[in-house]
Amino acid sequence: MKKSILAAAVAALIAASTGAALADDVKVGALMGITGPLANFIPPILNAAKLAEADVNAGGGILGGQNFVLVVADGQAAAQPSVDAASKLVNLENVAAIMGALSSGATIASANAVSIPNNVLQVSPTATSPAVTDIKDNDYLYRIVPSDNYQGQVLANIVLDEGLNKVAVAYVNNDYGVGIANTFKASFEEKGGTVTAFEKHEDKKNSYRGELATLASSGADALVVIAYAGGSGAKIVKQSLENGFFDRFIGTDGLRDDLLIEQVGPEALATSFFSSPTSPGENPAADALHKRFDETYGEGSDKPFVDQTYDATMLIALAIEKAGSTDREAIKAALREVANAPGEVVGPGEWEKAVKLIAAGKDINYEGAAGSHEFDDNGDVAGFIGKFIVDGDSYKQIAVFE
Amino acid sequence: MIDFINFYLIPGITLGSIYALGAVGVSMIFGILRFAHFAHGDLMTVGAYAALTAVWVLGIPALAAIPFAIIVTCLAALLADRLFYRPLRDLPTIYTVIASFGVALILRSIVQTVWGTDSQVYMTGFQKPTIFFDTFRIATRHIQIILATAALTVALHYFLSRTRLGKSMRAVADDPDLAAVAGLDTERIIRWTWIIGAALAAIAGVFVGLDTDVHTNLGWNLLLPMFAAALLGGIGKPLGAIAGGLIIGIAEEACTYPFFGDTLIAPSYKSAVAFVIMVLILIYRPQGLFRGRLM
Repeated sequence: MKKSILAAAVAALIAASTGAALADDVKVGALMGITGPLANFIPPILNAAKLAEADVNAGGGILGGQNFVLVVADGQAAAQPSVDAASKLVNLENVAAIMGALSSGATIASANAVSIPNNVLQVSPTATSPAVTDIKDNDYLYRIVPSDNYQGQVLANIVLDEGLNKVAVAYVNNDYGVGIANTFKASFEEKGGTVTAFEKHEDKKNSYRGELATLASSGADALVVIAYAGGSGAKIVKQSLENGFFDRFIGTDGLRDDLLIEQVGPEALATSFFSSPTSPGENPAADALHKRFDETYGEGSDKPFVDQTYDATMLIALAIEKAGSTDREAIKAALREVANAPGEVVGPGEWEKAVKLIAAGKDINYEGAAGSHEFDDNGDVAGFIGKFIVDGDSYKQIAVFE
Repeated sequence: MIDFINFYLIPGITLGSIYALGAVGVSMIFGILRFAHFAHGDLMTVGAYAALTAVWVLGIPALAAIPFAIIVTCLAALLADRLFYRPLRDLPTIYTVIASFGVALILRSIVQTVWGTDSQVYMTGFQKPTIFFDTFRIATRHIQIILATAALTVALHYFLSRTRLGKSMRAVADDPDLAAVAGLDTERIIRWTWIIGAALAAIAGVFVGLDTDVHTNLGWNLLLPMFAAALLGGIGKPLGAIAGGLIIGIAEEACTYPFFGDTLIAPSYKSAVAFVIMVLILIYRPQGLFRGRLM
């Protein structure tokens, strides 16, 4: 008896969960590191994805009026949980494509283990590691941030421009940290700077004083921290300040997190600066998007990767519309057509116009809030890197490099 | 040498103190209830967040919030025992072990739902360490953590060796059948095992938050070194677990010191130290340093 009740309950649960996804839904997975070292970045990023979802549905829906539904899965910004989450999205939720993951390690792992073998289009809004470029992805993996080959070079220039010729580098031991640290080091040394110490560390430890003592004894003027603020970055900065190892820090996009200011205080970071992929300096489409974002969610349009996430979600929706069905192969083939020139330009919030153009058989070219997104053969884009400083309890962009 | 003390030894003792407090609970639960309690790390997380709430609501410092952390964590542990572990008590322990995995996930998800997934701090900003004799730089919170752990160790020793309840616990840990025949109230002892284990876990959780930050994987990340510490000290030997925790904490930090001019182990491998120690003990001295029970 008990067993049959249980069976009925399980059956009801399954019916309820699949019932939510009606036949008229077009599902796209959003693979996010909701918990883990990137947790603090997530709320505005998730809102950006939801804004794109709402824009599609408000503009008449997708594939002839169907509902566009984002299915969010937590990959913990780590490789193994992301593979599990992606495999749930693909095999259980049967999504048409995946937007994500956020960290490079999670993106590479989920693409290699799930998306590529299952022929699912995956577009990461934030994976910056150079290693993403060289994956044999049969054209299923794209990203809409520039590779760290680029951020590393720009950062080297910014650091030298500040008059810092001797720096130590602490970087986290994952695809993101190793990738950008190596490109930074090569570029910095080539341009005449000296990297006095170059030390990788493991995420999520409680004390980095040992590593920092070694780095500090190398005689550097400042410390370049390439790590996620929520994983090890904020602890490294804090422990450096406490023990007088370093008082000036240079961070990449992973460290440029409000959490850092919250934990360390803005005064101590007055001389520090940060690099991060950003949007073009003047972009009316982005300004309009930010305004709508803040009206809908109260705040957060200036946070990292909001533009990129909106664009990634929008591009996937456009590719599905262009493909005319949820056939995964066709979606993949359609992505470049809607993203790359030539074609009539559509921007954020112009879903209805895009649908009409596609229906009329016209070629479109999505120019997003974060840039024009012209994918090259590797599925990479060129982009913009901003230089940021601390301003109150958040960051202010003071220069843009293309 | 001064560098070694300031930047390797003191942080190592601090880390070891946190492992030690967590490992006591793991060791006692393993000794008395006979199963590896995988939810112990997440009990620490619950404690850290309970204290965070008290800090927010009452505006008190984190150390003063420890009683709240203890109460909430003990309730969580007793509830988990009543709902999930007690019904499985008579089955082979592997059922309880798996159940404790489930409890770990439940606790973490509750914490994520209630407090969110962002990492938080008890106090913004950073403290300059106190400088002793112009050479030793020790952060105030490290002094607090180390002294508190020392005091708790003394109290625990007194409790186990002098009080009736403490002696009963040791009796159950040493030989449960004999203890039952002798008429000891096993359920009561189990209840107190949970209370002590959870209270120490809550304190350890607050200490982690005090030393670095409070996040939802705080306890889970420390679970492996805590198990290693419990094994090193000997299962069912709470004081052994404290020694084990300190040894592992210090070993983890000290192994990265450049003793011979060059770093002994690259710092990125220091997480492996607890693993290596645990494997070596299991192979060569499975009863642990303090002659604990064999698994």
